[in-house]
Amino acid sequence: MSLFSALVVAEDPTQSHHWLFPEIGEIIYGGIASIAVFYVLYRFGWPVAKKSLESRTAKIQKEIDDSAAARAQAETDAVNIRRALGDIASERAKMLADADAQAAAILAEGRARIAAEVADLEVRAAAELAAAKSRLGDELRAEIARLSAAAITVAVRDSLDDRTQQELVDGFIAKVGASR
Amino acid sequence: MSTQQIHSYVTAMFEVAVANDAVSTVEDEMFRLARAYESNDQLRSSLDDATLPAERRQRIVEQLLGGKANNVTVQLASMLVGTGHASLLPRVADALSRRASSEQQLEVAEIRSAVDLSDAQKSRVADALAKATGKRLNVKVVVDPSVIGGIVATVGDEVIDDTVRTRLDQVKSRL
Repeated sequence: MSLFSALVVAEDPTQSHHWLFPEIGEIIYGGIASIAVFYVLYRFGWPVAKKSLESRTAKIQKEIDDSAAARAQAETDAVNIRRALGDIASERAKMLADADAQAAAILAEGRARIAAEVADLEVRAAAELAAAKSRLGDELRAEIARLSAAAITVAVRDSLDDRTQQELVDGFIAKVGASR
Repeated sequence: MSTQQIHSYVTAMFEVAVANDAVSTVEDEMFRLARAYESNDQLRSSLDDATLPAERRQRIVEQLLGGKANNVTVQLASMLVGTGHASLLPRVADALSRRASSEQQLEVAEIRSAVDLSDAQKSRVADALAKATGKRLNVKVVVDPSVIGGIVATVGDEVIDDTVRTRLDQVKSRL
C-alpha cells in the first residue's frame, strides 16, 4: 500500500479536527504555498505592476501638466485677446477720433472755402452791379444826349426861317470880313 | 484810277474848253454838275450803274444839262460818264476848277450854304474871304441843306466854319 492509499484509508480528507481551523499540516503547506505565491508575485508581478502604475502615474501627471500648461496658455491667450480687444477698442477709438478730426478739418476748410467764395462772389457781384449801373447810366446819358441832340437839331432846323438864314449869312460875312 | 489819269482828263478838258473859249463857263458848270452828282442819290446811282448802256447814261447827262449848259460841258460830261468814270466827276470837276483858277492866279473858294445866296451876298462873301485870306478867289457857291444854317468856306487847306451844323455838333459833343 502506498502512502497515499494509506492516507486515504487512514482518514477522511473532507473531515478536520476543528470546525474552524484546518489541520496543522494544511496550515504549514498552505502557508508555505502562500509565501511562495506571494514571493513569485512580489518577485515577478510587482515590478510590472509598479512599472505600470508609475507609467500611469506619469501619464496622468503629464496630462495634468499638459492641462495646466494648456490652461496657462489659454489664460495667456485670453489675456492677449483681452489686450488685443483693448488695443482694437483703443485703435477704433483713435480711428474714430482721427476721422472726427479729419471730418471737422474738412468741414472747417469747406466752410472757409465757401465763405471765401461767397465773399468773392459778393465782391464780384457788387463790382458787376456797379459796372452795370455805371454802364446803364452811361447808356442812359448817351441816349438822353442823342435824343436831346436830335430834338435840338429838329428844333433849331424848324426855327430857322428865311430871315434867320439871311442873318446867319450876314453874320458870317461880317465875322470873316472883320477877321483881318 | 490814278491821280495821273485824272490829271490827263483835266488837261484834256481844259484844252477843249480853252479851244472853245469857255473855260470859266465849263469849269463852273462841271463844278455844279459834280455837286449835283454828290447830293443826288438817284442821279449818282444812275450814272454809276454799269448795267445801263453807256448811251443811256450819256442821255441822262444830256437831258440834265441840255439847254441849260454849254455844249462843251455837255460833251465833256457825257464823255466822262460814257467811259464809265462818272464816279470821278467830283474830283475831275474840282481839279478842273483849280486848273482854271490857277491860270488866272485865282484860288478856288468853295462856299457851302443852307440857302441859296443872292448875287450881292456872293459878292460880299467873296470880298470878305479875299480880305480875310489875302488871295484872289474864284468863288463857288454850293447849296447844302446839311449845314442847316450859316456858311462854311473852304479856301485851299483853310476852312472857315460858321454853320449851325457845326455848332450843333459841338453841343452834341458836350452832351
